[in-house]
Amino acid sequence: MRILLVEDDISLQDSLAGILREAGYAIDVTGDGIEGLFFGEEYPIDLAIIDLGLPGMSGIEVIRKLREGERRFPILILTARSEWQDKVEGLESGADDYLTKPFHPEELKARVAALIRRSAGISQPVIEFGPYKVDLSSQRVHHNQQEIDLTTYEYKVFEYLLMHPDEVVTKTVLSEHIYAEDADRDSNVIEVFVGRLRRKIDPDGDLNPIETLRGRGYRLNPPTPA
Amino acid sequence: MSTPAEKRRPLSLRLRLVLLAAAVLAVSLGLVGLALDTAFHKSSEASLQARMESMVYLMLAATEVQDDGTLLKQNELSDPKLGQPGSGAYARVEGLRNQWLSPSAIGITFPKLTSVSAGDTKFAVPTTDNLWYSLQYGVAWELPDGDLTAVNVLVLTDPQELQQELKAFRGGLSRSLGAAGVILVLAQLLFLTLGLRPLRKITEDIAGIESGSLQQLNDSYPKELEPMVRNLNHLLDTEKANQSRYRNALDSLAHSLKTPLSVIRASLPVDTSAKASAVESSVDDMQHLIATRLHRAAASTRSTMAQGVDVKTQIDRLINSLQRVYSHKLIQMDANIEPELVFYGENRDLLEVLGNLLDNACKYGDGQVRVSANTIDASDPRVGISIEVEDNGPGIAEHAAEQLLQRGVRGDERVEGSGLGLAIVVEIVNAYNGEINIAQSALGGALVKVILRTR
Repeated sequence: MRILLVEDDISLQDSLAGILREAGYAIDVTGDGIEGLFFGEEYPIDLAIIDLGLPGMSGIEVIRKLREGERRFPILILTARSEWQDKVEGLESGADDYLTKPFHPEELKARVAALIRRSAGISQPVIEFGPYKVDLSSQRVHHNQQEIDLTTYEYKVFEYLLMHPDEVVTKTVLSEHIYAEDADRDSNVIEVFVGRLRRKIDPDGDLNPIETLRGRGYRLNPPTPA
Repeated sequence: MSTPAEKRRPLSLRLRLVLLAAAVLAVSLGLVGLALDTAFHKSSEASLQARMESMVYLMLAATEVQDDGTLLKQNELSDPKLGQPGSGAYARVEGLRNQWLSPSAIGITFPKLTSVSAGDTKFAVPTTDNLWYSLQYGVAWELPDGDLTAVNVLVLTDPQELQQELKAFRGGLSRSLGAAGVILVLAQLLFLTLGLRPLRKITEDIAGIESGSLQQLNDSYPKELEPMVRNLNHLLDTEKANQSRYRNALDSLAHSLKTPLSVIRASLPVDTSAKASAVESSVDDMQHLIATRLHRAAASTRSTMAQGVDVKTQIDRLINSLQRVYSHKLIQMDANIEPELVFYGENRDLLEVLGNLLDNACKYGDGQVRVSANTIDASDPRVGISIEVEDNGPGIAEHAAEQLLQRGVRGDERVEGSGLGLAIVVEIVNAYNGEINIAQSALGGALVKVILRTR
């Protein structure tokens, strides 16, 4: 999942980006409203975290412009102004949730996960998919009560596919949503991740949940029990 | 010694001016009346005296003195008054030997008056001894033997005639002076009303500022009032500027404190060692202080000249916003707002109270939230409003409710596990001199009732 973080306070920006990266998200960071708007319009963002008090262009203005441009990804506003007047203005401009500073990093992670889930139309934090049970908040994957140990990138790939079941997901889309813009992307790496993921979630090779569509990408199919 | 309770309100400017003008008018009209009355009296008496003198000459002309000094009435008197009995004018000519009376004087007892010497005239007004106006005239008549004989003429006039004349004059005088007085008082009232109209206009405009329909005293006022109007406008500007400066200062203080707090929090290691949790709880405390204390300071700067806020609009905004935030919970929110309900306080305070209460109801409720709002005094919407927010959640136990409300009063004593929202609501309620109660809702959960007074 790829997150745009627009926060002008450098130290907060750094620590939030660190926390979110650790949580397995690809992060695009900027401290400027106009740049934030550009990222939001041009990059395949899954969620934006926008501080309301920004230089260049106010957070509210950025959100309004994004919504006018038909960008529908969920937006979480960060505000030091805990007053409802500011919250309501932010939400009216098109944001989906707010978080008042200072906040617990855990709270931020929970809100981000919930918003991504909601945008995918999933209301529960635990997705059951065939024999798999994926807890999106603790990022644990179980197969028939057996926990599967996935690396961050393997998990990211699995989570993205879970959010878009029965859809063809190209390698480019996967890499765009897994890596930040500045990362060095290589579609071969995606192939490697998918290969490792397949071996881990389907060691016996009988479920084959991730189908490869040659030249097009991957599709997550409901596993057919053998 | 007068205590403030005994102190009376000074009379209104209008009443003062009217009373003073009426007093001056009464005194001056009285003096004018007195002067006119005196003058008329004097001139009436003077003309009476002149008439009486002519009667004296008539009497003398009708008198013939015989050689021995006996007086004879020679011919008829041409003045009919002297000829008619009881006419009010009586005359007597008195010589040394005899006297004769005018025909009118039948039955009249002449007062005893000392005779005047020849050549003298004596005019006397009525006294207690003598009820008449009297004119005495002394003449010395030369007899053929060369002796002089003294002749005294006395003319009496009944004062009644003059008094009636005077009475008629006084009646006319007081009527016309009274009419003049009434006209002058009315004119005075008109002048005052017209003259004080700018002051009344200012009073109305200030009321307009109070009610929020005006921002400034913008009309043109008379030159004399301009300095006052200027000062008032200046005061209004200063109040507004101070308020926003104060608010901005508090705002930026809050803003600048919160971001570093977020950094501290975000930089804490995930494994909560004892030190980290100490920092964590300090951060919590600081956050709580900023939210409650700073808000209290901002809330107490609420303007006394606030404009009205449409409550329905604000509640709709909040409901729409909260529906977004809680879209996953599918909350049914009902609003039951008195039509055209207006809150005469700060919009941000209203939003803050409603926002926190509705947020709590959404958070702790089980998918059903109801908000109602009404005026607390139907006859005067400026007195304030009451708000009720209820949900169908687990509700708040009585002792917990007390603790929750207490906490807002003493923001430094924290109760674990309760949100900040209610504490902020309590701060605002206190600033508005209002009330807050937690009860059981018919929906099953908590019912929070808040009263905000704006007067």
